[in-house]
Amino acid sequence: MTHWSRIRSWMQANLWRSRMEREMDAELRFHMEAYTEELMRGGVLREEAMRRARLEFGGAERVKEECREARGIDFVESLTQDIRYGLRVLRKSPGFTATAILTLALGIGANTAMFSLINAIMLRSLPVPNPQQLVILGWTARQEPETTQERVWSGCQQMLGDQNEHGNCSFSLALFQQMRAQQSVFSGMAAFFDIDSVAAINGQAITTRAEFVSGDWFSTLGVRPLLGRIINPADDARGGAPVAVLGYRFWQSKFAGDPSIVGKTITINQILFTIVGVAPPGFLGLEPGIPLDFWVPLSTEVAVTPDFDRRVPDLLWLEILGRLKPGMSVAQAESAMNVIFVPSVTGSANPMFKSTDEPRIKLPSASHGLGSLRASFSEPLFFLMIVVSIILLIACANVAGLMLARAAGRQREMAVRFALGASRWRIVRQVLTESLMLSLAGGALGILFAYWGASSLGAFFSANYYMPLDIDVLPDSRILGFTFAVTMFAGALFGLAPALRGSRCELTPALKERGGALSGWHARWRWFSLGNALVVAQVALSMVVLAGAGLLVRTLVNLETINPGFDTHNVLLFGIDNTLIGYKGAKLENLYSDLRNRLAALPGVTSASYSMAPLLSGAYMMTDYRKPGASEQRALGTELLPIGPSFFETMRLPLVAGRTFTQEEFSSTVKPGPMIVNEMFARKLLKEENPLGQLVADAGSIVANHEIVGVVADAKYQGLRHEITPTAYVPLSDGCASFELRTAANPKALIPAVREVVNEIDSNIPVLAVKTQTEEIERQLYQERLIAALSTVFALLALVLACIGLYGLLSYEVTQRRHEIGVRMALGAQSRDVLHLVVGQGIALAVTGAVMGIGAAVAVTRFLQSLLYEVKPADPFTFAGVAILLVLVAMAACYIPARRAMRVDPMDALRYE
Amino acid sequence: MLILKAVSLGPLHGYGILLRIQQVSKERLEIQQGSLYPALYRLEHQGWIASEWDASENNRKAKYYRLTAAGKRRLQAETEKWNRMADVIAGILGTKAEEV
Repeated sequence: MTHWSRIRSWMQANLWRSRMEREMDAELRFHMEAYTEELMRGGVLREEAMRRARLEFGGAERVKEECREARGIDFVESLTQDIRYGLRVLRKSPGFTATAILTLALGIGANTAMFSLINAIMLRSLPVPNPQQLVILGWTARQEPETTQERVWSGCQQMLGDQNEHGNCSFSLALFQQMRAQQSVFSGMAAFFDIDSVAAINGQAITTRAEFVSGDWFSTLGVRPLLGRIINPADDARGGAPVAVLGYRFWQSKFAGDPSIVGKTITINQILFTIVGVAPPGFLGLEPGIPLDFWVPLSTEVAVTPDFDRRVPDLLWLEILGRLKPGMSVAQAESAMNVIFVPSVTGSANPMFKSTDEPRIKLPSASHGLGSLRASFSEPLFFLMIVVSIILLIACANVAGLMLARAAGRQREMAVRFALGASRWRIVRQVLTESLMLSLAGGALGILFAYWGASSLGAFFSANYYMPLDIDVLPDSRILGFTFAVTMFAGALFGLAPALRGSRCELTPALKERGGALSGWHARWRWFSLGNALVVAQVALSMVVLAGAGLLVRTLVNLETINPGFDTHNVLLFGIDNTLIGYKGAKLENLYSDLRNRLAALPGVTSASYSMAPLLSGAYMMTDYRKPGASEQRALGTELLPIGPSFFETMRLPLVAGRTFTQEEFSSTVKPGPMIVNEMFARKLLKEENPLGQLVADAGSIVANHEIVGVVADAKYQGLRHEITPTAYVPLSDGCASFELRTAANPKALIPAVREVVNEIDSNIPVLAVKTQTEEIERQLYQERLIAALSTVFALLALVLACIGLYGLLSYEVTQRRHEIGVRMALGAQSRDVLHLVVGQGIALAVTGAVMGIGAAVAVTRFLQSLLYEVKPADPFTFAGVAILLVLVAMAACYIPARRAMRVDPMDALRYE
Repeated sequence: MLILKAVSLGPLHGYGILLRIQQVSKERLEIQQGSLYPALYRLEHQGWIASEWDASENNRKAKYYRLTAAGKRRLQAETEKWNRMADVIAGILGTKAEEV
């Protein structure tokens, strides 16, 4: 009750401020008058009575102030005072204010932008009701199961967590159906599975990402359609009509947001689907950031991918999503599911696991989705978040330096306020209020910067990922909360030192001192050393960021200038996926050779070939080869690439010995099969022997089933970052293929012609992933390029901030030392000496900072090891390079104040006194 | 406590409180006039006394303070505490050498 009355009296006091003041006045006046009258009754004259009443009462203003304080009004009162005063002070020096706000906005903006990305990719929950109830079904066991596992996603392993166990998140259809029928812990349990598919839209074939979902998938998630309806259990029943729900983004980009889309059809892998609905804009699927194009019922899977029978009991391919019943704990649900799962995987006639494998169900939370992006971006995001925090520190040091310099100038003001009776806390609060106002303004501007920055960061991530991303960086309450916290932290950080400094002030000298007089020189020296320290810290921090960026850029340059062993320029790559549309055997062989011949005949094409996968794409096959009779242990791990005719000629991969494949050898019946190996293969497996004509056996074959007919130079196959390994090339006769075209000039000019040629042969064949070999390499290096580019941008930002700090300090000193400089010049100092004076200090600071920064960088860059390629974390060239860059830029920053110092007119400066 | 006591005898304005304290303490207690009002505001803020405007003896508007229920309880508690304290101290001071 007393709390309530306190709050009420506080509210009243603050809300009806003027009424309270009036009443207080009236009350005190009444007291005085009553007392005066009393005294007059005692025979004192009126004037005298009034005088004595006032005297005995004491200072009326002080009493009032104490009364206000008793009401708790003084906090709000002095806060508004502080704010009003702060605004006036900040408005009075617009240059300082603008610099400080801009610096802070850059620092806070960079942090908010990075945080927006982290939020979008890693922290945001799925946009569905009660996401915390959602779990993914996974299993762990001591041994791998006796099955063919189809899908392993990196996110699953991370979600299951336990590194020592085998585990996965995929199940067979039979297991799913059994568990769903018997379970009682989930309010909904749905299976899903995604594939790349080919959709025909307006007669053009494009690849799309589709997800097969069981009939209750949407209802388990609680997603409502934007248009039409969702997929329901009736659609998923056998014999149900094929229907599809489109993703919002797909609907927008491929159908231009057609509002009458429901009821129209779309051809997916040559099956006609009726579009029944469109998913809402925020819902991309279970992977935050990776939009799905459409969802179709799980029952249509047989028809869409007829070549592959997934309905066998030993294939684990379905992922399962569950929604826990309200109040059901994960542990309860796990043990309940184990009761169904364990007997069925260990007890059947053909068990997946032995019971000693201890297979167990795990239910990792799916409230944040599946986290593929989280898995692939967490390392660079973490690194960049550290970089931007360093930038914020630099920005804070920068503004703290500016405020310190100002605090020196405002010392008299502080002294006056002390003399008038302000408490130390009051002064600290005043300065802190100013700091917080600056940082709030910086934060507000920073949010704008951040939105722009995060959008371009998101676009940059998306452009370099292997599929289009949809990263939502719109600020939400979490981002705003983060920014607010960062802003307050920054304000306190850069405000505290100047505030304490400003409040520790000896009255007499400060009041006596005149601005810029020599008498204050001694006292001010101390502040400058703090100012110096701040500049040194800024330079050192920016040195750390620069060194990191330098190492990453060198890594990128190393990777880009690596010689992969073949000519990467003027090569056009594209893939065709014919297995989806039913090409097999001889028909496929004809398609390939026909296509290759027509492509080679195109004007501008020097030669054409194809292979299972392009070089340096990350896709590769491994197998083991051994000499006949040698044991399995002596086998040589080898990368294997099936290729088409004139592959080496097209890739300009030099043939060292022997011959290439003949036309007949592509008809796959010749035994032993011909094989071409690289020099490393020959050296490692056959030592000194002449490789030509040697017979080797591959893994699983007892007899020698391959004959080496040729040797080519070593070249990289799997990826740029991988060492060259023993490699074998065999004729390609089946499966999908990627084509390579060697062109005379710009390969991109040929893209329309290539599409036309493919269309002529069969308009149902989708042309996939058209790019040059150089682009393929760039794509492979996306993470390196991403980090290198972003850290360079941030490093330059850090450098600029540090130089602004240096510039600010020197300019301030030149202004303060005008008098001294004038005296020196009057005594015969040349402008060269003045230049030395100013630039000398600047360089000394920059070099000190750089040296300290190198020390810090050596300690820090070790953690970059995993991101670097062929450059040591403490690479002396990089360090020297960025140090020189830093000192040069610092010199430029010193030059402007130095020039101003040289222009000081001695007469002017002395008269100024 | 003294103010609470003074107010407990009936609503009073600030000056009246001053007079009453002086009167009941038989002029032995002098209160600094200026420090009375902050104390009143504090007590009111804590909800132990309440105030309203009313006409004074000589028909002028004055602010009258009266004790609230919370104030009454507070006064009682304080009085008991004080009495206990006074007893203890009196007991100590009244102790004679032979009683120890």
